Amino acid sequence: MPIRLLLSLALACAVGLAQAAGEPEFALTIRDHKFTPAEVRIPANTKVKLVVDNQDATPEEFDSHALNREKVIAGKSKATVFIGPLAPGRYSFMGEFHADTAQGIVVAQ
Amino acid sequence: MRTPAHVLAIVAAALPLLSLAPLAHADPDDYVAVPAVEYGEREIELRLGTASPTDDPHRQSAASLAFGYGVTPWWATEIYGKWHRSGATSFDAVEWENKFQLTEPGQYFADFGLLVETEFPHDHAEGYELRIGPLMQKDFGPVQANFNVFLERHYHASEPEVTELEYQWQLRYRWQPALDFGAQGFGEVGQWNDWAPARAQEHMAGPAIFGKFPLGGRQVLKYDAAVLFRLSDAAPARTFRAQVEYEF
Repeated sequence: MPIRLLLSLALACAVGLAQAAGEPEFALTIRDHKFTPAEVRIPANTKVKLVVDNQDATPEEFDSHALNREKVIAGKSKATVFIGPLAPGRYSFMGEFHADTAQGIVVAQ
Repeated sequence: MRTPAHVLAIVAAALPLLSLAPLAHADPDDYVAVPAVEYGEREIELRLGTASPTDDPHRQSAASLAFGYGVTPWWATEIYGKWHRSGATSFDAVEWENKFQLTEPGQYFADFGLLVETEFPHDHAEGYELRIGPLMQKDFGPVQANFNVFLERHYHASEPEVTELEYQWQLRYRWQPALDFGAQGFGEVGQWNDWAPARAQEHMAGPAIFGKFPLGGRQVLKYDAAVLFRLSDAAPARTFRAQVEYEF
């Protein structure tokens, strides 16, 4: 019984990992500790890929409690953040290291 | 991510070691690990836990103090000093924890990671302990679900070596950054391939709270705490556990 349970878990993991798909891609830039665009419109109920280009020399953390994401992006580098599928609505995010200026919102519609 | 394949290869090589360690009680300050790694983040972590007496006349309490670092986008490492109190307080062990993020959060139907812990007890009669297992996370709208399974084994211990199977889970409803709420559970079923009778297994679960307070710049204070109630005879009647992390 325990062995079958472990094998089932392993199989579920393998199947899940094989389910990678091409998600719609959206670009987001960090410059002078601000997000551009500050509002990202994405299709509702669809998983999307945000490609975040940090053009500042310092690292930033894409942080969103609503989206359940925390991702550190080194200075002068890009990172991918997968979000969704989201119900229609507005989901705020910020750059945690410069929260006074780095604010944005994802609008799922 | 290219490196998780290397991690899995290393783990595959290490797994036979686990099949070569006695039933142990879970530390009351254990916590639910999540698969994500925060690159470049440094943290100081304090864990506390206390459990009602079971087969010992004294309350079992534990505390850990750790320093951790996100070395790469997929690997975080942490060193713990652990103390234990059962009547008297004593230094218990040094633990080295390594967490590997195997998938990008949200990319697949669930997120996966791997936790590898090596503990070097102060009491050399306990040998040393290896704990290894997958970390899994899935979001259901505003609810985050985690489920982890671990194989744990003592080596070079004075008692017979067996490999035990443990699990932990949590549900977290994202309400406010400073206060999320949900539930956590922990359990041990005995030897991984020959589970103990139900009365000898430890299962406990209860309500939990979580939160995060930005302190400016890179500094963040995170916490989570739970009160766990006995779900099987071998488990403590009540356990309180808490974790505070200062990230910088």
